[in-house]
Amino acid sequence: MIPGEILAVLVVVIPGVVNITYRLGIKKATIVGASADLVVAGLMYFLRPQTGFFYIQDSTMLFIIMVLSVYLLSAIYSTRYLKGIEVMGIREPTYYLLLNLFTASMLFSLEVNNYGLMWVGIEATTISSALLLITEKSETSLEATWRYIIIVSAGVTFAFISIILIYYTLGTLSVSTAIGSHVHSRIMVLAVSLALIGFGTKVGVFPVHTWLPDAHSEAPSPVSAMFSGVLLPTALYVLYRVYEIEPVRGLYVWFAVVSIVAASIFMGYQARYKRMFAYSTMENMNLALLGIAVGGSLGFTGALLLLLSHSFGKAGAFYSSGNILRFTGKKEIAEINGMHTSMPYTSTSLLMSSLAVTGAPPFGTFFGEFLILSGVLSLHMYVQFIIVIVFLAAAFISMNYNVTGMIFNGNCPNIEKDRLMPALSIFSSVIPLFIGIFFLVVYNEIL
Amino acid sequence: MNNIDTVVYLISSLIAISAFYIQGQEFIASMIRGQSVQSVLIAVVAFIIGWQERSYDFFILGILIIILRAFLVNYFLQKRIPKQKVYLYERKVSLSYLFLLDLIFIVISVFIIYSIAFSGIVLHSFLGNGGNSSVLVFPLTLFFQGLFLIASRRTTFTHVIGYVEEENSLVLFAMFLLPIPIIIEASVFLDVLALVVISSIVVLEKFTHEPMEELIG
Repeated sequence: MIPGEILAVLVVVIPGVVNITYRLGIKKATIVGASADLVVAGLMYFLRPQTGFFYIQDSTMLFIIMVLSVYLLSAIYSTRYLKGIEVMGIREPTYYLLLNLFTASMLFSLEVNNYGLMWVGIEATTISSALLLITEKSETSLEATWRYIIIVSAGVTFAFISIILIYYTLGTLSVSTAIGSHVHSRIMVLAVSLALIGFGTKVGVFPVHTWLPDAHSEAPSPVSAMFSGVLLPTALYVLYRVYEIEPVRGLYVWFAVVSIVAASIFMGYQARYKRMFAYSTMENMNLALLGIAVGGSLGFTGALLLLLSHSFGKAGAFYSSGNILRFTGKKEIAEINGMHTSMPYTSTSLLMSSLAVTGAPPFGTFFGEFLILSGVLSLHMYVQFIIVIVFLAAAFISMNYNVTGMIFNGNCPNIEKDRLMPALSIFSSVIPLFIGIFFLVVYNEIL
Repeated sequence: MNNIDTVVYLISSLIAISAFYIQGQEFIASMIRGQSVQSVLIAVVAFIIGWQERSYDFFILGILIIILRAFLVNYFLQKRIPKQKVYLYERKVSLSYLFLLDLIFIVISVFIIYSIAFSGIVLHSFLGNGGNSSVLVFPLTLFFQGLFLIASRRTTFTHVIGYVEEENSLVLFAMFLLPIPIIIEASVFLDVLALVVISSIVVLEKFTHEPMEELIG
């Protein structure tokens, strides 16, 4: 085995191996393991495995780095967040064990060169993450967990039919072979269309998105950050790999557009901030789906830039939500005010992350959205362009209106007792800004 | 259609009937038993195809189905049924109304999906003599029946059985369509088992599922 393969195996195995320390400080081992895994992934960028069991391209590397970064941040954040939970549905070591398995299954889905195994990986993410939702045990979280398990599992069975049809047509499930096969048939169109419903359930495509707001709002904040920041992009990556075989552009574009419209409308009347952020995730994922469907250098680069910036921005938003919940115990937007004096650091991270995920310039998401919409225009899809622009603006206004209301209305005494949690929120929400500035510099140099 | 084809069609129709039987039940134990019978029937189809195609994969598949679904899943679920009388059956269910709705849903959805998407498929196995793909109607019926069961009922057990039914339909679908790689077969089993294990944990805390105000919108 050559070094590239060893590194690829290590990237997947390290989070699982950490679980050996289940009884002996799994908390610290998880953080050490996540850091080590990030280093190994960095090395793998230079020593890429050859196509065989693994299929790792530049875009795959981007997703792997995203997963590992948010995993590390969430692991550190969890060390403080879990301390404040009154009734735990699962034990603390079990929480870290599941978090590690959850990450390993995402990494497996990203790296493997087989559609069948990708499907197994996506199903494994459901199985490993389901019980994480009942960390903060309540009647609502149990119901959200159940909806997550049953809706996503039922949805992903459609993806399984898609996998069967791919094998039926091509006689192989190898991703690298299938992408280069150029087989055009009615069955392949059917397979790629079913994948949109199947994997789209996990991505948050309308109307099979219904598990998303429930799971995101009831999960502990570091898990919500993992869900929004990296789980949905991982499912989108798998969907993209299927889409590459037979691009059914019209169908994908319209599903993405309708989903953006639905997400923007739902976002407008949310009373709870975590549900509002969940719908924002749905909007961003479908925007990235639009970019992937549009394709070309504009659409695809835009989608990658959007996903990368969104993963950190949304993680920042959920960490900020975690801080608010921990320090105030309130979930409703209307119940929170005066954050700029009561929680100065959290209010900074909340504002930054809110601007980041709604695509304000000069955050990376803005440039991602700009490129995607340029791609839409380049294909002369004017109707889709106008619809998306209108509803993106509506989502931008409604979300930032709510967030600024929480921050600037009133004055309250400082209640921000912890330093690490707000620091992580700020750190995470600043990254999209750096991505945007970095992109601007690089883009200018290319021009 | 030769004799073997006729037997496969007959057993497949019994599988579809078992799905309707499950839909018509109110007692949880009866539903679980119905699922076991359904799994055994699918295993029988696997044995027949394996014998006809001279393929050991189908025999392994059939044995796995009997061990894992007909017995193991059944055992897990039976063991988790709470002892209190109120939990032995699903109350407040209008069976006749749901059954009628179910029939309409199944007939329309299977007719549309089959005629649009699957009627043109040519089967590789002996069942496809002359390019006939009509046998795919059975797994499609089972698939939509599983979906309807999940959507129409409120208890955790019924949802799990609906999901197992869906997975059963996928195995049947794959068996008729092609000899699928063993890795996919294994994944379906792992999936069902994992779901049943997780469900067993959730069912201890939450038996029924009703709309909750905090999760609306």
